[in-house]
Amino acid sequence: MHPDSELERLMARYQTGDFAAATALIHRVSPQLHRFFLAQFASRSDADDLLQETWLRIHKVRHTYRPSEPLLPWAYAIARHVRVDHYRKSLRASAREHRLEEISSIPLTSNPASAPPTDELAELLAPLSESQRELLAMLKVAGMSLEEVARATSSTVGSVKQKVHRAYKKLREELGSLNLKKGGRKEQP
Amino acid sequence: MNDKDIDTALRKAAQAPDTLDPALLQRVAASLHPLEPVRPLPPTWLLVVALLLLGASIALAAAFRAGFYGFAKMDLLERVVIFSALAGLACLAAAEFVHSVIPGSRRRFTSGHLLLVVSILLLAVFALLFHDYHTDHFLSVGMLCLVTGVAHAIPAGLLAWLLLRRGFALNRVTAGLACGAFAGFVGIALLELHCPNFQAFHILVWHTAVLPVSAALGAFFGRFLNRRST
Repeated sequence: MHPDSELERLMARYQTGDFAAATALIHRVSPQLHRFFLAQFASRSDADDLLQETWLRIHKVRHTYRPSEPLLPWAYAIARHVRVDHYRKSLRASAREHRLEEISSIPLTSNPASAPPTDELAELLAPLSESQRELLAMLKVAGMSLEEVARATSSTVGSVKQKVHRAYKKLREELGSLNLKKGGRKEQP
Repeated sequence: MNDKDIDTALRKAAQAPDTLDPALLQRVAASLHPLEPVRPLPPTWLLVVALLLLGASIALAAAFRAGFYGFAKMDLLERVVIFSALAGLACLAAAEFVHSVIPGSRRRFTSGHLLLVVSILLLAVFALLFHDYHTDHFLSVGMLCLVTGVAHAIPAGLLAWLLLRRGFALNRVTAGLACGAFAGFVGIALLELHCPNFQAFHILVWHTAVLPVSAALGAFFGRFLNRRST
């Protein structure tokens, strides 16, 4: 059985219609899903909405979970899907707003994807691309293995390893230069 | 700064308390009430077997109607090699299709890579078996075979999609591609059973073309469903 088999047991009971198990599962998994959304530059209210939407989707497709499989990759795969859907919708909405702006010349709110990070983790992951942020959030926030991240992102372990390697390289460069700047400022009289 | 420092910084940031509103969790939990039991999807192998049976039934039914001229003209070795290769490759495509409609499934390759690999393997099998390099009525006869193959791949793909309708495709384009690739094998199987034209270029070009054409149609179908849902 999978190391985090308690989650898998709760999910299996959720499928049989056990409401207490469903509630327990929501309380166990929600904090890390919420943090996952925050790490993707979502605002707190957006992260709340995404979390609710994710649970609605999980509820709708709960029969696609198989009890012999690890739960987190399944749940994160759905969470990713919800986030991408949300992102596409907000892009379309901002495009519509943009067209309206051209017509009426009224200033509009910024695109949610370019909003400043609202979370310490999001701030740390800011220099990375969207897919790299997503991978590190799964690895470091959820504590998932490379194999589980590969399952959640519908890719292979090799591809995940490569992306993580590139993400670390970028973070080393960015954080290194940031430290140098700070050090340089301290040395100034 | 090294990887260990980055790890420490990431872990520290990840451990910072997240002020998740308990009322939100209560709302989420309340939205699931009343909770009905559900029947989980059958195991992957069973879905793959169901897809293969469906594909074989369609190919055989169509060949019964059109005639087994190709099969009758083949020798034993050709029959064994071609139909076992088709069964094996269709099995790979069916497994990929099943994985694409179950979130969190283990993937060994992407659907695009799968299409490339199975196309190359199929070409290799055909190239090894057929050595008549004449090209009589290459375009007219070839187009007829391509249309026949694709015309049978379309219902096979639709029925396969219907069979896995309880699944949840996270990416409908990829799922459509995998479904189309599987359906393409049904079309090719029919052509191998029916078509008595054993000219190498005819088989290499027109029979094999059913696979990418039907995979492309599957991907377009997935894209259409995506657009319709958003």
